[in-house]
Amino acid sequence: MPRILITTLLVLTALVLQVTVVNRLPVSVVPDFVLLVVIALAAIRGPVAGATIGFFAGLGADLLPPVDHALGQHALVLCLVGFAAGRWAERRPLLTVAVCAAGGPALALAVAGLLGDPGVDLRTFEVAWPMAAFVNLLAAPVVVWAVLKVYGPRPEKATAAAVPGWRRA
Amino acid sequence: MKDSRRSRLFLGLLLAAALVLITVDHRSENTPVFGPMRTIVTSAFGAVERGVSTVTEPIGGFVGAVAGAQGSRAQINNLKTQNAKLQGELSSQRIDKRRSAELQAMLGLSGLGGYKVVPAQVVARRAAPGFEDAVEIDAGTADGIKPDMTVLNGEGLVGRVVSATASTATVVLLCDPASSAGARLEGTGELGVASGLGANGGSGRRIMFRLLDSTAPLPVGTRLVSFGSQQGVPYVAGVPIGTIEKVEATPGELTRTAYAKPFADLSSVDVVGVVVEGPKRDPRDALLPPAPKPAAKPAAKPAAKPKPAVPALPGQQAPPQVARPSQSPAPGDTAPGNDAPENTPATEQGRDGQTSIPGDEAA
Repeated sequence: MPRILITTLLVLTALVLQVTVVNRLPVSVVPDFVLLVVIALAAIRGPVAGATIGFFAGLGADLLPPVDHALGQHALVLCLVGFAAGRWAERRPLLTVAVCAAGGPALALAVAGLLGDPGVDLRTFEVAWPMAAFVNLLAAPVVVWAVLKVYGPRPEKATAAAVPGWRRA
Repeated sequence: MKDSRRSRLFLGLLLAAALVLITVDHRSENTPVFGPMRTIVTSAFGAVERGVSTVTEPIGGFVGAVAGAQGSRAQINNLKTQNAKLQGELSSQRIDKRRSAELQAMLGLSGLGGYKVVPAQVVARRAAPGFEDAVEIDAGTADGIKPDMTVLNGEGLVGRVVSATASTATVVLLCDPASSAGARLEGTGELGVASGLGANGGSGRRIMFRLLDSTAPLPVGTRLVSFGSQQGVPYVAGVPIGTIEKVEATPGELTRTAYAKPFADLSSVDVVGVVVEGPKRDPRDALLPPAPKPAAKPAAKPAAKPKPAVPALPGQQAPPQVARPSQSPAPGDTAPGNDAPENTPATEQGRDGQTSIPGDEAA
């Protein structure tokens, strides 16, 4: 089970580096590397694994201090993103990664708005989302490349050959 | 034999000539006989030598490099590592210097206000859209930090503690949309509420201020200080908050809305102080940085010296009290925290600022 180890390690590294290094850079908008790592892992591993990875990565993000929001908010968002990335990455990998990277912040804002977080409204969406989506799109190729490098070539091809058509069902 | 004899003769002649030359040259030290000849030949040879060596120097260098490649590569590597190490030291020193300046400013501010602060450093930050603006600091309940304590830095209010573990604490920043603090206008003392705007405020570049009395004047450039709650929970009184930048026209409403620029740079907070004990008396406007001379220029100086803008109340010159228990586990991370010499200059600045104001003899 070295894949589980590698996945855990990747996600934990992304989580810690995000809050200790990336978020503290003196710029107002930074890419969300946890989201991007989840997208890349899900694109390699498929929808079920993607949703699981997303859920646990989100749970980690919810637990990692500093935290002042409801537990599970990140988990919900990343679970959905992971599933979507795993579901469509096989047919249209580039488009899927791009849509997930850009749509992740939008989904997070929508969930926050639905949960009634103060200060999240349509104007917040207009202000915050375009920049967040843009920096995520910029960082996505680098992260996907790095994850592929760590993870090796897509291992799912063998699985798909062994179990023909299981993903299309 | 013939050849040999002739050659011997020739050798002898040449030796004789050489001896003659030596003798003549030696004897005529002061009357240069061969002087001009020597100069000409020397300069000619010198030119040739220079030309040749210019041409052959790269060759020699190449040969030398090939011969000494191993040693010089090692030397280059040595120098490179040394260089990298020195550069690292230099930049870390620069960072240390900046942190020390921030700490001094913070201690100066807290000393001026009579707050008892615990210095701390930001170790992590969360800033995803749709989530809170919060930072993690490296001081916790072991240092006397409890939830709902005021957090400030050298420039002004930063936020409040929401939760604390033994060695870390979570601070929600002033710009978080969920946080709001009671604020008071400088001078007039009109009350209002300063609340964060989140991403709407450009990630901490702006906060919203609601003035409760809609008829009171609210000019652009007025500064805000915290009003303070009962027993200083969650905000103590008198901490500078920000400068009014824009006033919105809201006719017919019960409150007036304005936008303010926080004094503290909330997008890059580093060294902060947690107020573990509020001042005995409300310091009112005494902690505001000096009023900008032209009206349109907001106080944008980094690490502005805390200087009272209006005559200060007497009895505010308590030195900064740094409450960091000695059993604190890691003194290295906020090393200058406990050093008395670190905070004395800041206090002196504050005192200088106050002694320049007449009517301060009472203190």
